[in-house]
Amino acid sequence: MADRLDRSATSALQLNRRSLLAASAAVTGAAALNLSPLLRSRSFAGQELNLTIIQPHAIAGEVLKKLFLEQAGVTLNFTVIPYDQVHAQATLDVQSGANHYDVHDYWYTSIGALVDDKVVVDVTEWIERDKEKIEPGDFIKSIYDAYTLVNGRRWGLPYDGDSHVLFYNTEILHRHGLEAPATWDAYYQAVKTITEHEKANGIYGTALLGFKVPVIIISSYANRLAGFGGKFLKDGQPDLLSDESIAAADELLRIAPYALPTPSETAFDQALPAFLSGNVAFLEFWTDLGVRSQDPKNSKIVDKWDVTQLPVGGKNKTPVAALDAGFGWAISAGSTKKELAWEFVRWAASAQTSLKLLTTYNSGIDPTRNSTLNAPEYKSFAPKVQRAAAAAFGSALVWPTVPQAPKLLDALTEQLALILAGQTKPKAGLEAAQHAWERLLA
Amino acid sequence: MALSLRVVPFGGAGVDRRRTAWLMLLPLLAGLLIFAVYPSLYVLALSFTKSTLGQPFKTWIGWGNYRWLTIGGDEIFAPSLLRAALFSLGVALLELWLGTWLALLLASLKRGGRLVRSIMLLPLMTPPVLVGVAWKLLLAPGGGLINGKLLEWGLVDRPVSFLGTQPWAMLSLMVADVWQWTPFVAILAYAALRQVPDDIIEAALLDGASDSAIFWRILLPLTAPLLLAIFVLRLIMAFKTFDLLYILTFGGPGSSTEMAGFAIWRTALRSFDVGTAAAQTVLFAVFVSIFILPFLWLNRRVEERAS
Repeated sequence: MADRLDRSATSALQLNRRSLLAASAAVTGAAALNLSPLLRSRSFAGQELNLTIIQPHAIAGEVLKKLFLEQAGVTLNFTVIPYDQVHAQATLDVQSGANHYDVHDYWYTSIGALVDDKVVVDVTEWIERDKEKIEPGDFIKSIYDAYTLVNGRRWGLPYDGDSHVLFYNTEILHRHGLEAPATWDAYYQAVKTITEHEKANGIYGTALLGFKVPVIIISSYANRLAGFGGKFLKDGQPDLLSDESIAAADELLRIAPYALPTPSETAFDQALPAFLSGNVAFLEFWTDLGVRSQDPKNSKIVDKWDVTQLPVGGKNKTPVAALDAGFGWAISAGSTKKELAWEFVRWAASAQTSLKLLTTYNSGIDPTRNSTLNAPEYKSFAPKVQRAAAAAFGSALVWPTVPQAPKLLDALTEQLALILAGQTKPKAGLEAAQHAWERLLA
Repeated sequence: MALSLRVVPFGGAGVDRRRTAWLMLLPLLAGLLIFAVYPSLYVLALSFTKSTLGQPFKTWIGWGNYRWLTIGGDEIFAPSLLRAALFSLGVALLELWLGTWLALLLASLKRGGRLVRSIMLLPLMTPPVLVGVAWKLLLAPGGGLINGKLLEWGLVDRPVSFLGTQPWAMLSLMVADVWQWTPFVAILAYAALRQVPDDIIEAALLDGASDSAIFWRILLPLTAPLLLAIFVLRLIMAFKTFDLLYILTFGGPGSSTEMAGFAIWRTALRSFDVGTAAAQTVLFAVFVSIFILPFLWLNRRVEERAS
């Protein structure tokens, strides 16, 4: 859900036909090398694959489609759907017997449920067979396991590793003599100062993403939970009543009065315009905000922003990335072209293809591999964001991926929304969530 | 002229009237079985199972889902039913009152009635999702028209979070719903008013009856059965409100605007707990049926009195 740019080469920011072709041409040379002998022989030429792809990856899909057709002669038919409907679409496709899709672009939290519902196929053997090409050890470990491992088996390959970083408006911070906060307490103080001084001018310290949708409100909570060093599950059991967990909820609530009105209503379409118009100082967001911030057509803060890793809190002194969102490729159990589907998945998740997508404007792709995260091309493409991401990925907070994950996230969303709306206290809300999680996991 | 009914045999000898009747009923029966009975039985059966989207009828759990929703500790569904009841009753009453008032105005128009009726239908013809988007923009704390005007006129010193705080969120939902559906009620109420014979009104006017007396003593009693039917119709429709809720509040702040239809959708297609969602659907149907019983009884009484 992210790609990034923090250079001022604004004219190059819009993805147009020329840039798409240029990117595709650049990829052709390198990625073709990663084709399996089977694909290189063009034995699949003329065939088609049907895939789901989430809306933020639509441009990445276009690039992949062009390349795969050129290199393997295979046509990729992407159906662009909202990220939170992939699970339902994939499940209904198999359950109804329609079996239209071959490959799914799945949100990693749903992998346990997809496996449990027998919607995706086990690719462990294929990974083992092709491990020299795949280089499993190159995947960022926390991402690789979280995205693909269920019951000791692998069910897909990661290709978009999303996490939040902290964007800030340098101009607003300079006005108040502030620096990028390293702790959640410093963050709170900075937000409070800015809001108290500039609220009359319509400027707020932060836009707190608090809309009642898992990927929105749980991301805000997970950022704090990661910062305090907490976890969602400990040894497979809910850990929502730990000191870190409660501190994270307290922090979420503490900042709310100083955030852009009103956190409960704040989703992407409220937060992004506010940050890009220079009306909020901080925004926790996916790294693709770097691209938008430098686009003069949509941004009033060109060259007036910077980015850092998320703050820490409590006893924790090491920044931790919260894996808010993140996607992989999985093969549908209903596919009649599983071998070809695997060839695509393997190719699309390869380091070469990933790197080219990473350095394609607006592809919506973040690093999933150590080699791409630290690649010179990526460093020069997005130096600020690369630094923040590389520093945070050392350790990462993984969201639940068990079969019950959709229910767990829904139950937590419910309680966080109540906490943020002031309808329940943080501890009481988390107790209710813990109780619900214990019941669901029993 | 004497008329006689005669069964015209078809399809060969032995096809009698009774069999013909059944044959003619067959398409309707098949339709009912396929589109009403089968889905109902399917949902009922699902409600006694642990089911996910991918694995319906995974495990038979008897009354497990019902126990959880009623006495087992679920804190979401029962309040969502009550909220739905309050919302539906509130908007249906408001729409009936406003709709009848608009219908009276329409009936009193000497010219341009057709044009006004066409304009009135616009909110009704707008897709509910767009109604939600329009109201979301109007009510937005930053840049929303309503907050802009309130600030400009000095009525508030900071933007009001209409969709993020209570009771504003529920009131906002009601306002949007009333805006969308009042014209529908008004058009139906106007049709009901037009059924009152003009000579009765003229006679009352000749007797010197005031407008108020004509409404309370003639128009209302004569149109009451129809108005009540419209009310019950809107009540049932309002129970199923989803689009506005999805766009405007998504059930928030917290869960304070979450209503039963939305809760069922969330359980089925966000938590993928299809078994529990089926049990919720059954409970919802039972609840709505019980809730509207007094109004149906009232309707029957009014109809009897009118006849």
